[in-house]
Amino acid sequence: MSIVILTDSASDIEASVRQSLGIVSVPLKVMFGSETYLDGVTISSGEFFDKLKQSSALPTTSQPSPIEFAEVYKGIVEQHGKDVQIIVIMLSAALSGTYQSAMIAKTMMEDEVDITVIDSRKASFVHGMICVEAARAAQEGKNKQQILDMIDRYLDEVQVYFIVDTLEFLQKGGRIGRASAVIGSLLNIKPILMLDPAGYVSAFDKVRGTKKALNRVLETLQEYAQGQRVKVAVLHSSVPEQAAEMLERIKQEFSVSESYIQEIGPVIGTHTGPGLLGFVMVKE
Amino acid sequence: MVHTRLDGVQFSRMVYLGASFLSGNVKVVDGLNVFPVPDGDTGTNMNLTLTSGVEELSRKESASISDAASALAKGLLMGARGNSGVILSQLFRGFSKTVSGKEEINARQFADALKAGVDSAYQAVMKPVEGTILTVAREAADMAVRTARTSDDVVHVMEKTYEQAQETLLRTPDMLPVLKEVGVVDSGGQGLLYIYEGFLRALRGETANELKQASPQPKDQLQLDKLVQEHHNAQVHLKTEDIQYGYCTEFMVWLSHSTEPNKKPFSEALFRAQLDKMGDSLLVVSDDDVVKVHIHAEHPGNVMQYAQQFGSLHRIKIENMREQHANILKAEESKEQDAAAKSGQLGALPYGLIAVAAGKGIAEIYRSMGVHVVVEGGQTMNPSTEDFVNAITGLNAEHVIILPNNSNIIMAAQQASELAEVPVTVIPSKSIPQGMAALVAFNAGAEPMVNAEAMSKAIAHVKTGMVTHAVRDTRMGDVEIKEGDYIGIAEKEIVTSGADLMESARTLLLSMIDEDAEIVTIFLGADATQDQAAELEEAVSDAFPDVEVEILDGGQPLYPFIYSVE
Repeated sequence: MSIVILTDSASDIEASVRQSLGIVSVPLKVMFGSETYLDGVTISSGEFFDKLKQSSALPTTSQPSPIEFAEVYKGIVEQHGKDVQIIVIMLSAALSGTYQSAMIAKTMMEDEVDITVIDSRKASFVHGMICVEAARAAQEGKNKQQILDMIDRYLDEVQVYFIVDTLEFLQKGGRIGRASAVIGSLLNIKPILMLDPAGYVSAFDKVRGTKKALNRVLETLQEYAQGQRVKVAVLHSSVPEQAAEMLERIKQEFSVSESYIQEIGPVIGTHTGPGLLGFVMVKE
Repeated sequence: MVHTRLDGVQFSRMVYLGASFLSGNVKVVDGLNVFPVPDGDTGTNMNLTLTSGVEELSRKESASISDAASALAKGLLMGARGNSGVILSQLFRGFSKTVSGKEEINARQFADALKAGVDSAYQAVMKPVEGTILTVAREAADMAVRTARTSDDVVHVMEKTYEQAQETLLRTPDMLPVLKEVGVVDSGGQGLLYIYEGFLRALRGETANELKQASPQPKDQLQLDKLVQEHHNAQVHLKTEDIQYGYCTEFMVWLSHSTEPNKKPFSEALFRAQLDKMGDSLLVVSDDDVVKVHIHAEHPGNVMQYAQQFGSLHRIKIENMREQHANILKAEESKEQDAAAKSGQLGALPYGLIAVAAGKGIAEIYRSMGVHVVVEGGQTMNPSTEDFVNAITGLNAEHVIILPNNSNIIMAAQQASELAEVPVTVIPSKSIPQGMAALVAFNAGAEPMVNAEAMSKAIAHVKTGMVTHAVRDTRMGDVEIKEGDYIGIAEKEIVTSGADLMESARTLLLSMIDEDAEIVTIFLGADATQDQAAELEEAVSDAFPDVEVEILDGGQPLYPFIYSVE
């Protein structure tokens, strides 16, 4: 009996990684005015951020429809047979209706196939990293319950902090939720953002200046890691050098067993803008 | 009263009462409307939609629930206006399909029909958003289905459905941030709740006449009404500029099946996909003959031109939502002025922030950080206790926080706090940078005690330096100071002095930075220049390349430079 991990393009998993692990991804859409692109399919991160610089109007995003999910479910059944078990790990339902679509599509398939849809309450390579772990576990022959338990542990435990250049994109896209109390000012105040347990973007702290913000994030992660071995991902939008520099620092200060540098994709990028640095950490 | 069956006559009574309940509360629902666009017409739209349904229903009165529901669905579809109206029409379209062909239904079938309506509504909406009428309808229908498993009483099922709808409605602000921000429940959900309330009362045997002298409203309901009246209309909290698609566009397409020239065959999926690119809040509902379209678009002409390829256009309605919204704002403004004139004050702020500062730029920075009143003052101009008392009284806040920003001013602030009628916390900030550090730590959502502690603690993490000139000859430790010399003070201590401004300024600044420093801020005084600031920045970058430097125009008198090192 095979297990297939299905996610959305907002998980920002490299195509090569997805392919090697057999992770299926359903693309969200990014719209610049009247032009619609399929996230990661007809537009890459690089193309997206180039376009963002040139475009006067901000892009918008939209979730896949239930029909699109249902078609993907059917495709998986065709390929793997009726006995396939599909584990669907979705972008935070607090941020997007993608989870909703996946759920509706599941009801359209009722009784035909075993589908478990999970609201990750996460975004980008946070639920992306968990998909990777889940797919590996599936390859190792773990059963569905073991994989679901593992996913639960990671979802509860994974640490996510990020810093954006400007709150403008989060505000315009309406994704700032409980972090909206953080207002800009003439001082260079950097809010440190996190995903709260319900999956909303919220303010963790605010400090003056990027350097201070980064130090504060690393201190907080130290308190979490307690010297134990951790898996780490540094996320960024259009700032690869800074991300690489930060990862080097993390490798020196933490006991890192596995690390990733991941550029965020068009859909998440629509809501964060360029210049994001994000930190994902989970104990091994 | 127990009903185990529901027929067309009873169903019609429910709808009539639901409609009259909604129409009596249109203003309440309108007042809640902030999502997806704050145009303040959800109640009106739902009411007009339901009215059209009721008209059709009364034209085709029938004892069969199948016929009655089908007439209602048809009328709703024809009359659907606005997002919530279209969703409402879908709720009963799905309902009608499920009861099709039946004379009467039992409790279980009633619940299933409610559920089918929800499925139909979710499918019609391109981007279902939780925390709206959809969620209220869905959770209520789920409850109906659960209840019907153990009860064959339609009244009981409706009771539980109504209670769940009410409970879900109260949670909508937790699901949809914009509602929480403005402090309201979802408008469409509220409209649906009124309809359900009518349904329930009809099943209990009440009629429209009794309704007029109805029993007191449930407690939550009263609170909601109060919420609406106390808060200004919810739309006021949002800006007209935030509306991206300016025209609420609605029309129907009568599909041409014949082989008319220049008309294309219709595919709902393609049609929907095409329109989705032209705006948001898209709703497309079609049966074999008619397509009903609702969209918020910036170019309604393009939408209609596209749709016309499939048939003729009818019941066209286009409204400029920016204008609608601006009118609401205007109406609210004059209402606010009236209210202010009557009571002499507006609602109290949870926190009032007062800071003492000298210099236009510094005052500006404080205001940008959320300070409500900047009291002019500093080293040589100490504000009085009375100045603070006046500032506190003028604020009308529930709790006031004062940042004295000078050791000579803390006492006056504390005295004012004892005289004030509201609780006042004085944060013992002794300099401009300390006051700012305290403000960064301020959290409008936290309790006063928590803020007091966080802000007082933040003061300790910032070092203050000031450059000024000596007012007389003096001696401090080993440093000999002549009148007119420039002196550099770190916290309370004079660390350097000399005749050359830049020399003293540089020496002081570099002496303050150590390996823990992360950011240096230089506030330029009224007499200092940008060139001088650039010179200082360069000195810091040369010696400490990792330290961030920020230069801000403070405009303060007497001190050419104030430094903050964190």
